[in-house]
Formats: sequence, structure tokens, C-alpha cells
Amino acid sequence: MTAAGATLSSGQLRAERWRLRLQGWRSFWRRYRRKRAGVLGLAVLIVFGTMALFPSLLAGPFQDVTAGTSDSLVGPSATHLLGTDELGRDILNLTVYGARTSLTIGLVATFMTIFLGAVVGIAAGYIGGAVDTVLMRITDFFLILPTFVLALILAPIVLDSIKGTPLASGDFFGVSVQLVVIILIIAITSWASTARILRAQTLSLKERAFVDRARVIGSSSTHIMWRHILPNCLALIVANAVLTVTISILTESTLSFVGLGDPSQPSWGQLLESAQAVGAPGLGAWWYTFAPGVSIVLVMLAFTLVGNALDEILNPKLSVRG
Amino acid sequence: MSGRYLARKLVQAAITIALIVAVNFFLFRAMPGGPERAIGHNPNVSAASIAALRERWGLDKPLFPDQFLDYVNASLHGDFGYSIKYQGQPVSDVIAQQIWPTVLLVGLGTILSVILGLTLGSAAGWRRGRWPDYLGTAVSQALYAMPSFWLGMILLVIFATGLGWFPSFGMSTAGAVYGSWVDNVIDVGSHLVLPLATFTLGYMGEYSLIMRSSLIETLGEDYIMTARAKGLEGGRILREHALPNAMLPTVTIIALNVGYIVAGALTIEYVFSWPGLGTMTVDALGARDYPILQALFLLLSVCVVLANLLADIVYGFLDPRVKV
Repeated sequence: MTAAGATLSSGQLRAERWRLRLQGWRSFWRRYRRKRAGVLGLAVLIVFGTMALFPSLLAGPFQDVTAGTSDSLVGPSATHLLGTDELGRDILNLTVYGARTSLTIGLVATFMTIFLGAVVGIAAGYIGGAVDTVLMRITDFFLILPTFVLALILAPIVLDSIKGTPLASGDFFGVSVQLVVIILIIAITSWASTARILRAQTLSLKERAFVDRARVIGSSSTHIMWRHILPNCLALIVANAVLTVTISILTESTLSFVGLGDPSQPSWGQLLESAQAVGAPGLGAWWYTFAPGVSIVLVMLAFTLVGNALDEILNPKLSVRG
Repeated sequence: MSGRYLARKLVQAAITIALIVAVNFFLFRAMPGGPERAIGHNPNVSAASIAALRERWGLDKPLFPDQFLDYVNASLHGDFGYSIKYQGQPVSDVIAQQIWPTVLLVGLGTILSVILGLTLGSAAGWRRGRWPDYLGTAVSQALYAMPSFWLGMILLVIFATGLGWFPSFGMSTAGAVYGSWVDNVIDVGSHLVLPLATFTLGYMGEYSLIMRSSLIETLGEDYIMTARAKGLEGGRILREHALPNAMLPTVTIIALNVGYIVAGALTIEYVFSWPGLGTMTVDALGARDYPILQALFLLLSVCVVLANLLADIVYGFLDPRVKV
């Protein structure tokens, strides 16, 4: 008599795995759907995501510095729903295209932050010993540093270093080098808390029976970290990533606001910096700051709501009594 | 708190500061064009004085250990080189002039935002799941989601440009002659209102959220149950049993956030042209005034390390469970 498991072909196994995975996603969605605030946050993100992916649907072609066609700093009107900037460009157009820049930087920087944090955290926790000590000392150092101030000095140093080299004029998949530098700097300065959290999780996972079992049948450390520890950290990684996105977006807008952004690919923070540079608040041109600022607040709130909903689902201790 | 705990924290802080000094040195040398570029930027400096400075800074000597030790020595004596933007003044003089407005703004702002944030957070946490909680949490979330500089721009448009209640920039009216020190205080005070309001609103949201969750966690403890069981009235449970314990982690988190607080203050100052370190930083970034930026990084990092140390020590005193 053969066991049922032994007669499954590898194709069937894969299909079975996908069926289970899909089932997991469905039950997760059923629970998520009940969190009203979380669904609201998700809806807002879908709106801004659509804006970022298909900006021309909402606002026509991007108006670069040469494209200003109207009078400068005119308030909202029928032709310019959100007014114009100092070059006569439509603020709605700039804000819609700003979504692409802001969200791209926020998401890519988050991905890199989480990646760095996960590699350091899991390696430190799993390998242990001297590796752990050294990595955690570095992590503690980055945790204590005022990372925003570090970013403030690193950014101009790196930007000045590449200025004049062929690198400076290139771009990566449509993102200018200046913004790539900002992304890297956000990642370099904010990975440490992720590393701490994942190290703690790895330490507890390492003691579990399935890791012992994998070790006994001769799996390599890399295999165990990649196939056993990482998948079990995913829930934590996702919850942490959502929190990191808000920090990345805020850091990006602050760095752009103090003049480290790229005016040719304006993010929302960059628009606010242009508004400040021409003295829009003092001229009463409230519409210049209104749309980009509200967009930042809405996206930040939406990510926070989604993060809270995920946290409540993944962390049963937080659910409201009664 | 044992002496060993204290000693350990002191040694850790000293090591961190030493590392920060080292990072600062290597950032300084990694600077494009090397450190001489910082002076070469200035067209009024002759080749001869650059050579003199090279010799004075020991740039002809090996990077390590000679240059490094010189640098550490100079830093210890408060010599951070010369500013590019501020007509070649020594960096330490520039910072000494600009630090007090920032201390005033950040100091008052921190006191106000902590008081308001903790009050709002404990009110919300105590009434968990009822409308004061929803309202308080919604307000806190919204304030937390706002970049503080944007909040400042909005307040400026409404209360300075629109209504004209407060001046829109600077720390005092240009060219004002004061009859007495009272007039002086009133003038500076009216300039301070909007930046201070921005700072307070910008940070109280976060403090309120931390306080709320800390209080809710404390209220779930067994000893609160005991207090309820022996029939204590709600207000006394909150004031005498829950709040003291819930405040401890909150205040610690705030102390650990000093770096983040100062970073926010930098942009608020820029919005209101408040003549402090923030406005200086933005100007220095625009002029690529590296000596200023380097000194600022060192100053703020050391402040953050000391704030952390203080938080650890206070925590060790207040919470006997903290062990080495």
C-alpha cells in the first residue's frame, strides 16, 4: 500500500501548494474586509496608485519647466482647478505627476530598507556569535544616530561626488540619479529598526522544531534562512514595511523641502519647496501648498490605517475587547 | 539601579560618541574635492592661504593616525573650521549665534507638546472605544501624518498672510527700537506664536498616540484589576495607579526621539525664517557649506546620545526592574 503523499507528482504538489496559498489569501481578505478603516485606507491608496500609474488620464501630459502656459500664481478657476504655480503651470497637473515620484521613492526606499534590515536581522539572529555581536553593534549605532541629520549631510556629499561624472545625467528606469541617491540614502539611514525586529523573530524561530528538523536532514544555513526563517517572518515584514513607507515618504518630502530633491521630477515635497522658495505662503497663494500637502497627509494616513488593520489581524493581542 | 548598570551605560555612550567623531572625520574627508575645497570655494582666499591652511590642518601628513588625531584634538577644542556661507566666520561662532532661538523654540515646544499630547492620549486611552477616543485618536493620527513644515505653511497663510494676526517671518521686527524690555519680549513673543504652535501641534499627535497605547497596555495589568476589585473609584485608579506607570515608557520614547524632534524643528524654522539652526542648515545646504553641516551633525548626534543616556539613567532609577 502506498501512502497518498508519495503518489503525488511534482506538478500536483505545486498545484496543491498554490491552492493552499490562495485559500490563505482568501481567509486573510475575509478578515481584512471587516476592518472598515483598513478598507478605507486601501481605497485611498488605490486612487493614488492609479494616479501614479496613469497620470495622463487625469491631468494630460506633464508640464515641465518650459510648459507654463498661464499667468503665474493664479488661484483656482475653471481652467485650473487647483490654481497655477510661479511659472504658470497647473498645480493639479504637477500634483498628479508628483504622485508617481513620491510613491516611487517611498516604495522603492521601503523595499531597500526592508531588504537591508531583513538581511542583517536574519543573519545576525540565525548565525549568532561574533557575527551577531558585530551586526547588532552597527545596528545600535544607526538606531541612536539622528538619521535625518545624517541623511542631510550624506545627500549633498554623494550628489556633489557624482556631479560632472557621466552618472549624473543618467537615469534608472525613468528615475533621475538625484532621486536614486535620495532613495539609497533613505535606505541606508533607516534599516536599523527592521533589523532589530527581525533578529528577535529569528531568535525565537531558530529554536522551533522545524528548523532543527531541516538542520538534521542536512539543509545549509542559507537554505534554512531563505526557505524556513524568511517565510515565517513575512507577516512581520509586511506590517513593518507599511510603517516604513510612511517614514520614507515623510523623509523624502522633508529632504526635498530643504532643497535636496530634483526640480525636473517634482515630488510633493519638491512642490512644497518651490512654493516656499517663491514665498507662496506670504503671498497668500494657499493653493500652491494645498494640493501637494493634502496628498502627503492622505497617503500617510492611508498607509497608517492599512498598517493598523494588518497589525490587528496579525497580532491578536491588539484586538479590541468585547 | 546598580553602579554596574550606570558604568555600562556611560561606557556605551562614550564609545558611541567616539564612533560619531570618527564617522564625522571620514565624511569630512570623503567630501568631493577634499577638505580644501571647502575653502577653495571662497574666491577671496588666495592660493598662499590655502597652502597655509593645508599645513595647519596637516593635510600633507598621513590620513591615519596623524590627521585623524589632529581632527579629534581640534573638535575637542571646539574648532570646526570656517564657514563658507557666513563670510568665513569660525563655525563655532556661527553656531553659537544661531543656537539660542532654536533652544527657545524646541524647549518651549517640547514642554507644550508633551503636556498636551500626554493629556490627549490619556483621555483617549481611558475612554477606549468611545467617542472621545475616536475623536482624540483621529486628531492625533491626522497631526502625526502631517509634515510639520506643511502645517507651518498652512498656519502662516491663514494667521499671518490672511488674518494678519501675527508676523510672518523672523524673530523680531526689523529695525525696531524698544522702549523697554517688555516691548522686546512682546515683539519676540508675537513672532514666536506661529512656529511654536506648529511645533506643538506637529509633535503632540505622536505623543498622544504613544501615551494612549501605553495607558491601554497598563490598564490591562493585573494590579489595575485588583484596584478595581477593591472598589477604588475610576479617577483614582487612573491618576494613582495607571498614569504613573504608563507615563514612564512614553517619556522614555520621547527622550529617545530627540534627534527626530530637532530634525522637524529645522524645517519649521525654515518656513518661518526663524533665525536658528534650521534656517542656518537650509542656507548651508544651498551653499554646500560643509564645515557648518559637519559641526551640526556632531552637535546633534552628541545631544541625542546624551539624551539617550539621561533617559536610561532616569529609567534605571525609576524602574527597579531594570537590570544590567
